[in-house]
Amino acid sequence: MKKYILKRILTLLPTVFIVSVVVFLLVHLTPGDPAAMMLGDDATMEDIAALHAKLGLDDPLIVQYIRWVSRCLQGDFGTSTAVIGQKVSDMVFSHFRPTLCLAIYSQLITILLAIPTGILAARKRGRIADMITSVLSLLGISLPSFMMGLGLVLLVAVHFRALPAAGYKDLFTDGLLPFLRYMTLPALSLGFIHAAYMMRMTKTSMLEVLSSDYIKMARSKGVKEHTIIGKHAFRNAFLTVLTVIGQGFISALAGAAVVEKLFTIPGIGTLMVDSIEKRDYQVIQAITLLIAMLNVVINLIIDLLYGLCDPRIRLE
Amino acid sequence: MTDTILSVSNLSTSFRTDRGWLKAIDGVSFTVHRGEILGLVGESGCGKSVTSQSIMRLYEEKRMVRYEGTVMLSGTDLLSLPFSRMQHIRGRDISMIFQDALSSLNPVLTVGDQIMEPLRIHQKMRGDAARAEALNMLRLVGIPAPETRLRQYPHELSGGMRQRVMIAIALACHPQLLIADEPTTALDVTIQAQIMDLIVFLNRQLAMGVILITHDLAVVAQTCQRVAVMYLGQIVEEGGVPDIFDRPLHPYTRGLLASIPRMDGDRRERLHVIDGTVPLLHQMPSGCRFAPRCPYATDHCRKEMPQLRSVSGGQSVRCWREEE
Amino acid sequence: MQSAFSTDTASLARIRKELVREQRRVNLRRFLHNKLSVVGFFIVFLMLLLAVFAPVITGALGVDPYTSLGREMRLQPPSAAHPFGTDNVNRDVFARVIYGARISMTVGFFVGLFSSLIGTAIGMYATINAVWDNILMRICDGLKAIPNILLAITLMAVLGANMHNVILSLTIVSVPGVARIARSQALLVREQTYIEAMRAAGASRFRIMWCHVLPNILSPIIVQMTFTFATAIISEASLSFLGAGIPIPAPSWGGMLKEARSYIYNGWWMVVFPAIFTGLSVLGFNLFGDGLRDLIDPLSGR
Repeated sequence: MKKYILKRILTLLPTVFIVSVVVFLLVHLTPGDPAAMMLGDDATMEDIAALHAKLGLDDPLIVQYIRWVSRCLQGDFGTSTAVIGQKVSDMVFSHFRPTLCLAIYSQLITILLAIPTGILAARKRGRIADMITSVLSLLGISLPSFMMGLGLVLLVAVHFRALPAAGYKDLFTDGLLPFLRYMTLPALSLGFIHAAYMMRMTKTSMLEVLSSDYIKMARSKGVKEHTIIGKHAFRNAFLTVLTVIGQGFISALAGAAVVEKLFTIPGIGTLMVDSIEKRDYQVIQAITLLIAMLNVVINLIIDLLYGLCDPRIRLE
Repeated sequence: MTDTILSVSNLSTSFRTDRGWLKAIDGVSFTVHRGEILGLVGESGCGKSVTSQSIMRLYEEKRMVRYEGTVMLSGTDLLSLPFSRMQHIRGRDISMIFQDALSSLNPVLTVGDQIMEPLRIHQKMRGDAARAEALNMLRLVGIPAPETRLRQYPHELSGGMRQRVMIAIALACHPQLLIADEPTTALDVTIQAQIMDLIVFLNRQLAMGVILITHDLAVVAQTCQRVAVMYLGQIVEEGGVPDIFDRPLHPYTRGLLASIPRMDGDRRERLHVIDGTVPLLHQMPSGCRFAPRCPYATDHCRKEMPQLRSVSGGQSVRCWREEE
Repeated sequence: MQSAFSTDTASLARIRKELVREQRRVNLRRFLHNKLSVVGFFIVFLMLLLAVFAPVITGALGVDPYTSLGREMRLQPPSAAHPFGTDNVNRDVFARVIYGARISMTVGFFVGLFSSLIGTAIGMYATINAVWDNILMRICDGLKAIPNILLAITLMAVLGANMHNVILSLTIVSVPGVARIARSQALLVREQTYIEAMRAAGASRFRIMWCHVLPNILSPIIVQMTFTFATAIISEASLSFLGAGIPIPAPSWGGMLKEARSYIYNGWWMVVFPAIFTGLSVLGFNLFGDGLRDLIDPLSGR
């Protein structure tokens, strides 16, 4: 098992390296001089040159890259160019909790919605559950999350006035109920696309497993149908679904930008979009890097869980 | 005569397809007695597996499959049982082992879990009792170090070992009848012999009936008491193994026997080949189903289907030539 | 002898042509049989028509996407003269939605085209050269580690919001996916014996790639292109919705929704119509792509 974990981590290193280079270059390709921007219009050439020297902007690219990476590793993502003196890491950190809570909540809804429906659709092929799954997965891939959100707002918030149309309540400071009131619509719109996909994947992998020989064997042993579904089939189908759950979590974090903006939730998505307007590239860089790294880490965790759930992998 | 465990009569199984209902097996009848091994032989696609899975009612989707006839197991008709009762029969009174043990064992459950499952379901055994019985079963099928095996997963065992585990699972509740669907096809030759020996041994030890499905006549000759030959969803000949091997009556059986390579024969002689291939189910000939490939076929054969009739000494055959 | 031979090849060629034609007929029938893909095709066709003839359509109705209709026409609900109503700055929503098709289709088309060209080139090149294969695929992995929408937002933030940059950044985002598909398909084709036979016969690598591998991997690439088209429409709408895409006052569907967001309580039509058109066109491309994919590989999907 240890060897398996180590091997997994080692294969990630090239990806991590490429991601860091891409994110670093992204901001370095930015037109305009960051030093000039930080100092404002009335800065003299000497001031700019001094700041250049101070920030090391005249060093070769590779030196700058190494310096940037080593700072990032220490949790230092530089200072904001828009809000003077504000540390980027503090800004990102303070906006992270709403995003994380929203992502987790939306994934919970997704899982609770998608997996039972997917299993039902696999068991009753061609019946209503199956048809609903097909229609939903078509809708799911066709409706961007913010459109789903706008639709939900129009229907639930504007028409029925059942839930608030926008705003944020924190799970820890405001309590569970307000959190649910405010976050259910964002979580639904964030999770919908993925729920459709997860439904489809659950259905496909359940169908595949249900047609396998070991299910026939289990039936011939006299195992009851619900035990076959729950124990024999789902434990195998879950291996595929696990990967989908990981992807869903990432897409919830990434898709947060749009949904947070729509529901005015003060998460990193909103921070990122606001930073575009303020041309605060340090923040954009930090968020992109953070989410890409989270993606890598989540994939690693999924891989390890996979190894835990599938006895065939451990031996290698 | 020994007592009858299973008697199948006029069993037909149809599947729904795009072209309507398709009869995969048509009027299959045979009996299995206590302590007896019945061989069910035929080419692939002749309905051997459909027969065995119909006995177990493993095709359960009502809209897709239709059974006719009766399957009497010690006085109960399995086909008319409600589904929940059938679940109690499976694994307790009839068990089944399949061709490929690797794909027939659940990869994410331990060997022990899978052996104990039928014990828990049918004999309500719990914890240590189930574990002890599982160990017994593993010992019975000749698995060394059963305590370790219990905790292992199927992929950690060798092919022969997996087959033994599957047999242990099937026999855990000491069923009256074991259906072995090509149990050795996927194995090496040496292991094949071991597994067949094991099945014969258990058949005697537990005094159960066995239906051995195979396309290997040599295996039948060594292990079975009686044999039924299937062709295109029908039994074409049935009888005691010595009778049929000495005096095959149906041209198809003769063809099958002639296509076994013999060590004592002339090696330069070409192996016998039955001409033609099995026709598809929806292009079934109207007369005798073997007529298109039969060297003796007459117009009568092509027009009218012969019935399975007993000839002598418990041997029966489905052929017009034996009528005269 | 000579003439017999030539008639023989001629008749063979005829039979071959006949077979190909028959195959096409079968394919067409299979495509038409799948009703959803026909629906998809019609939606795609309709959207492309709207995009091409936007000025003609709006001109016939005497409306314009940019002109204010005067203060009294602010936030008017749908009516005969303005079927989709008017927006917060007194413009006709119908005209803006129709012109929006132009923007979405243009972005989708160019992103689909460019990412297919570049992705195919990269994917195929990767199969020739083992060293570059490793490097290119690692870069693709790295790019894919950054979620698509996030990478697009970052690129737009860096490049600046305009239509060219939307196409550029969405192309960058889409290329790794296409490259992966092109590479795996090309590898499959290259493993087939006839390619080995050609290599043994001394055909150049370039010739094998261009004449034999490329035609064989074209269909999955085209299928992927329709899906890329669909994703590009979503991404462009999302970017514009965030204000990082096509800048206002251009009538992009995402941008219209951004404005509509503030009027959700008193101008539902500002939300509904652009949303329906976006959803419909994405649905159309996805259904169309599904139909095409089923043609190539009837076993995949669903």
